Amino acid sequence: MRRGLLLGLPLLLIALVGALAPWLAPASPNATDLTASLQPPSADHWLGTDQLGRDQLSRIVHAARTSMAMAAVVMAIAITVGVSVGAVGAYVGGVVDRVVTAAVELALSVPSLLLALAIVGIRGNSLPNLIFALSVLAWAPYARIARGAVLGYRRSAASDALVGLGAHPLRILFVHVVPSAARPSLVFASTDVGAVVLATAGLSFLGLGITPPTPEWGQMLVESRPYLGTAWWLWLPPGLAITAVALSGNLVSEHVGVPPELRRWRMRRPSAPRQPERVVLPAELDADAPLLAVRELRVRFDTPGGEVVAADGVDYEVRAGEVLAVVGESGSGKTVSSLAPLGLLGEQALVEGSARFRGTELVGADEQTLRMVRGAGIGIVFQDPYAALNPLRRIGSQVAEGLPLGLSKDDARERVVELLGSVGLPEPASLVDRYPHELSGGMRQRVLIAAALAGDPAVLIADEPTTALDVTTQAEVLTLLQKLGRDRGLALVLVSHDLAVVADLADRVVVMRHGRVVETGPTADVLAGPRHPYTRDLVAAIPALGRTPGTRFVTGVDHVVEEAPC
Amino acid sequence: MLTAVAVLLVVTFATFALVRATPGNTASSIAVRQAGPGATQEQVDRIREELKLDDSVVAQYGVWLSRAVSGDLGRSEKTGRPVAEEIAEKLPRTLFLALGSTLIAVVVGFAAGIVSAAVRRGPLPGVLRLLALVGASVPAFWMAFLLIVVFSERLGLLPTSGQAGPASWVMPWVVLAVPAAATISRVVAVALAEALRQPYVTAARARGASVRSTIWRDALPNAAAATLNVTALQVGMVLTGTVVVETVFAWPGLGAWFVASVEFRDNWAILAGVLVFAVGFILITRTADVVQTVGDPRLREERIR
Repeated sequence: MRRGLLLGLPLLLIALVGALAPWLAPASPNATDLTASLQPPSADHWLGTDQLGRDQLSRIVHAARTSMAMAAVVMAIAITVGVSVGAVGAYVGGVVDRVVTAAVELALSVPSLLLALAIVGIRGNSLPNLIFALSVLAWAPYARIARGAVLGYRRSAASDALVGLGAHPLRILFVHVVPSAARPSLVFASTDVGAVVLATAGLSFLGLGITPPTPEWGQMLVESRPYLGTAWWLWLPPGLAITAVALSGNLVSEHVGVPPELRRWRMRRPSAPRQPERVVLPAELDADAPLLAVRELRVRFDTPGGEVVAADGVDYEVRAGEVLAVVGESGSGKTVSSLAPLGLLGEQALVEGSARFRGTELVGADEQTLRMVRGAGIGIVFQDPYAALNPLRRIGSQVAEGLPLGLSKDDARERVVELLGSVGLPEPASLVDRYPHELSGGMRQRVLIAAALAGDPAVLIADEPTTALDVTTQAEVLTLLQKLGRDRGLALVLVSHDLAVVADLADRVVVMRHGRVVETGPTADVLAGPRHPYTRDLVAAIPALGRTPGTRFVTGVDHVVEEAPC
Repeated sequence: MLTAVAVLLVVTFATFALVRATPGNTASSIAVRQAGPGATQEQVDRIREELKLDDSVVAQYGVWLSRAVSGDLGRSEKTGRPVAEEIAEKLPRTLFLALGSTLIAVVVGFAAGIVSAAVRRGPLPGVLRLLALVGASVPAFWMAFLLIVVFSERLGLLPTSGQAGPASWVMPWVVLAVPAAATISRVVAVALAEALRQPYVTAARARGASVRSTIWRDALPNAAAATLNVTALQVGMVLTGTVVVETVFAWPGLGAWFVASVEFRDNWAILAGVLVFAVGFILITRTADVVQTVGDPRLREERIR
């Protein structure tokens, strides 16, 4: 917020100048002196004089007063009307709300400059008409914001509580509802000042706004037109002033509404990762060597709130035909450590340590190397089948993306149909030209599995592949993964928060917590004799026949932290 | 479509009612404006009959509307010519101006937006973002002055007015296009950055797709859908922006004509101008909805159902 204030500073400064204009201006804005007309800037007249010998600086300063007064009046009307209309519509609901919504839609779909011009043209050029012309549509965005805020408030628990306590509706409206709508409105207003100033200047420029001799930036610009080539001090400063106001407003709105990675003027690059070694060591080409070996993997994120360590010294490895389960609660770093080796965590992630696929170092490897490994070496099945498929692309196109290059169109289509069939999708040929939204969650997850297999990978990482699915579908998808792993001799990495889900499938288990591996070993050993207290809690949480009903569910309780021997 | 018609009806009716509610628009004062101080009672009566001034505002509006639908927009009080004729003469020039600017705005806006979201290194994205912010903040009439001073006064390269060939088109096109291009590029950059964060982009990259391919095949189509409304709004603003730009560059189109009509308080012309600009503005913004429906398989299906 402090940055927001800084960006709004030019605006505040100009408002202040406007407010103090009579004391700041060195001369009267309308004192003419024809003997001293069109003087360039000098010690007497810092910004020179205009064609009537008026002091340009004094006129600029007083024009700030005009613009700011205009903006203040118009915005006071717009905010009062807009917030009341929007708040009442949302609060009363029903027909009233529908009328309000329709009126807002209408006001927002009319070109405002045009209507303002028409109003001034029909009613005549006077200050009240100008104010009316500028505010007649300006209330609409505030009504929309206020309506949204009040609807949000009404759905909140605080609202229910007040009604439950028997507060008077009017009291609720004015003490609680209106303030909740006013805050976002004021934020928008700070960005809207520029628009009002710009509109006033535009109308004055067309000779239909503020009339002479009252100084106003747009009107000063029209008067400077004959002297464009000769007297820069007449047309440059008013334009700069308008631009400064508008820019300040835009900067604030940018600050409020723009995602942080675009807010920075220049991307901060994470410190250079260490040089990749792309030497393939013969020892690691043994049949028994792990396909994917992760050592001392450390992942940090550069966030606006500082650096966050998501994974800290993670080790695991997986061999062909083996199923490895990576288990941990959300935020334990299990997903991060499975995506990091492939460089899929984005620019803010700083990855250190080592991850070797068939002996090739992936951490710090260039994009070309990583692209060759992605899909063709290591396939990934993502957590959310609803979000991981592009809604605007056909199924076939997304599955075909992972196929080896150089296939003909027909061959590629045949392979896609084959793949879709191999993951148990019915009528695979008809699915190729369908869009993701036409499929159920379970079907989409199968499509994602088919897409991950398209490059014929040796390692398949499934990141919470069943979390977004219902229980019956979960079992089907897990069985499918297990079958595919066995048939294709895959090294399968199953990432899950649920030890129960993966216990039956996994040969070995890695248990993660707070970015660290707390326990690792063959599944049977870990289940039979968990050494770490957190693992014990996880094992205890597995529902089993013969367990006393009502046993406390203890996953993730915090007492573990104190007991953990770190 | 129904809402578009409703908007037009409400806007034109409000403008019409405003004309009627304004003093100085009685039959006798119109007669004086048309025929000078010596207007006869017959002329006054004829005007009253023609405009149905004794009927209610709604009835009068009905008369205006039915005539407008059949192409009769009344006579200009300034020139005495049919308003429809004047519009038919000016509209092509304004469309020429607006289309050129729209093309520039959309191409430059999208290109700049894509570069500022997709390029991750070097000063280029920052510079583009700064330019976009400034471009969206500079008032069109002042930018016109800056260009005139540099390219006409100093360099003598471009004429300040007229329509004599490409040299005289450049400045009006650019002035009209800059604010739209700036706003479009800001919105495209934000939408594209958002789309590039989506899981389907990560999923595509996990299948071996290049960053470039995910931008074009995955992120941009999704981002474009999100920017369509703003883009259409900006194109609409290009159309109404001709009011200012045509005045500055003495471009004899509909915008300058509208301003002149407003200055003259030429009511029928103002009313017709509001109608024509509002129709154009609404056509443009509604087109965005149609394009969105056609481009998105989810919406397409809903429409067929």
